[in-house]
Amino acid sequence: MVTLALVRKELMLLLRDWHALALLFVMPAGFILVMSLALQGRFAADQGVSLSYYLVDQDQSAASIGLVQRLAASQELKRVPSDAPLDVQRDAVHTDKVQFLVVIPKGFGTALDGSTPLAMQEQSGPGVEPAVAELFTARLQGLLAELYLSKRLGALGSNMPDPAGAQALLHTESLYTAGARPSSVQQNVPAWLLFAMFFIAIPLSTTWVQERSQGTYARLRTMGVSPVQLLAGKLLPYIGITLVQAALMLMVGVWIVPLLGGGQLTLGHAPLALLLMTLAAGFAAVSYALLIANLVSTAEQATIFTGVANLLMAAIGGIMVPRFIMPPAMQAISLHSPMAWGLEGFLDVFLRGGGVAMVASWVLHLVLFGMVCLGVAALSMRLRHRS
Amino acid sequence: MIEIRDLHFRYPGAARDALQGLSLQVRDGSLFGLLGPNGSGKTTLISLLTGLLRPSAGEVRIGGEASPGGAPAAQAISALVPQEYAFYPRLTVAENLRCFGGVLGFGGTDLKSRIEEVSGIAGLQDFSTKRAEHLSGGLKRRLNLAIGLLNRPRLLFLDEPTVGIDPQSRAFILEAIKRLNAGGATVIYTSHYMDEVEQLCDTIGVLDEGSLLAHGSLAELLKAAPGQRNLEEMFLHLTGRRLRD
Repeated sequence: MVTLALVRKELMLLLRDWHALALLFVMPAGFILVMSLALQGRFAADQGVSLSYYLVDQDQSAASIGLVQRLAASQELKRVPSDAPLDVQRDAVHTDKVQFLVVIPKGFGTALDGSTPLAMQEQSGPGVEPAVAELFTARLQGLLAELYLSKRLGALGSNMPDPAGAQALLHTESLYTAGARPSSVQQNVPAWLLFAMFFIAIPLSTTWVQERSQGTYARLRTMGVSPVQLLAGKLLPYIGITLVQAALMLMVGVWIVPLLGGGQLTLGHAPLALLLMTLAAGFAAVSYALLIANLVSTAEQATIFTGVANLLMAAIGGIMVPRFIMPPAMQAISLHSPMAWGLEGFLDVFLRGGGVAMVASWVLHLVLFGMVCLGVAALSMRLRHRS
Repeated sequence: MIEIRDLHFRYPGAARDALQGLSLQVRDGSLFGLLGPNGSGKTTLISLLTGLLRPSAGEVRIGGEASPGGAPAAQAISALVPQEYAFYPRLTVAENLRCFGGVLGFGGTDLKSRIEEVSGIAGLQDFSTKRAEHLSGGLKRRLNLAIGLLNRPRLLFLDEPTVGIDPQSRAFILEAIKRLNAGGATVIYTSHYMDEVEQLCDTIGVLDEGSLLAHGSLAELLKAAPGQRNLEEMFLHLTGRRLRD
């Protein structure tokens, strides 16, 4: 009865605090939408490289048509069909709507047979990174070399060797692990959800500081409310709030981000593991909030401390900069942030097909962190009461 | 009802005791006025009596039972109305009463009847749906009092319950306290308003620097301090005119 009354009171106070609701629900939803869409291309390692280009064939010779076909056969290069005049296509490249423009000049095929070949033109947009432009140029040069050699060898009465034979001369092995990397939405949904969960410290601390300064805490104590009941009266409703946060942010990732043109969040195949991760992260975040609430003396201190500490935890923990981008040393350091434990656990479920066994270690990390925070909060509460 | 024997209390890190061997008896049904300058030990004494603090030495017995740090038996029959507005500003009057009633373990029709009862005593019936933060100072004081009455206390601690309110609200609260006392409740009342204490209390204790300087009815106190015409003069005579922190 006592705890139930405290839980109900806490929920009513939160529901009437628009600033807190915006902080806990609107902020992460906004971050998820903006960051998922803005970083879509940057995280798309699992979607392969795709280079778009316009092609204008002013020659229409057998050689130019052959080159166009070879370019079209390349999976990495995506021709953007257009009947627009050359100037319009050039403008589109200048404004980065299409990355490259290739122009095969009139007389290209004929010149290929002569002693002085006629150069093709390639232009890349201002937003195309030099490494990407080099990749496109190398691909084009390879195809041109094939074409040039076949022409020359044909003139000598020899046949062009099969390109597949040349590929057999090199065996390649890649250790690249793009499959384990998250897409933009897979990274951003759990990241900003965790970020918002840890911001619960602000509304929780504000209420607790007010209770202490206004004598409400003392009144509750004289009514026989024990410290354990007071802690439970905060812990339970706010863990419930973290579950609501998780449900809403997952819905944003599954339904809202795709509606706006982004990728869709896949939830994996282990709902129990997902629930365990959410509960463990919620417990850790609320216990951390209780610790802050017991350490600070004013609402201003709570806001500043939470803001700074959360930003640091987020920066280290792979929330703002994904862990896979970090150098190995920073990746090791990042695993000291509770936000990283939460993020890795969620990514195990969303991305790596993990179940309860795979996330158990992260759950344990978060629960232990929460228990330490709770223990120190209870100790601090006792010391404050004595003084 | 309340027996205090040789009570000592020192805050951690303090150079001297906040209460220095205080002994006092408050009889059942009394309306006891506890007076003292700022820092004299009034709030410390109330905190010890309500179980918020534990004595360094000495004994407190409430209703015959030892009350080390607010024994459950003492908590069940007592209530504290602190000087601060000890409720939730974002909740309405009714929600505050329901919340604290629930905390006290009441529910259902019992809680409903208690809320109606205390709302009647404090004159809050017409304000039940109003948020506490939007109440006037007088109504806030009345809500503060109403919450303290939810467990129908036999022992009520009122810590300056009329600070900062208009004369009408003040008169209303004083009348309510008189009625509660007439109904059998023992009241420990602290205030800096001497006229209130003169008008209300049958017994008065004057506390300063952690010691009880005087204790008795107004007539007894005045008799013991010749030349002092009223409570205020007697109080200044006992505690001096030195300004306090």
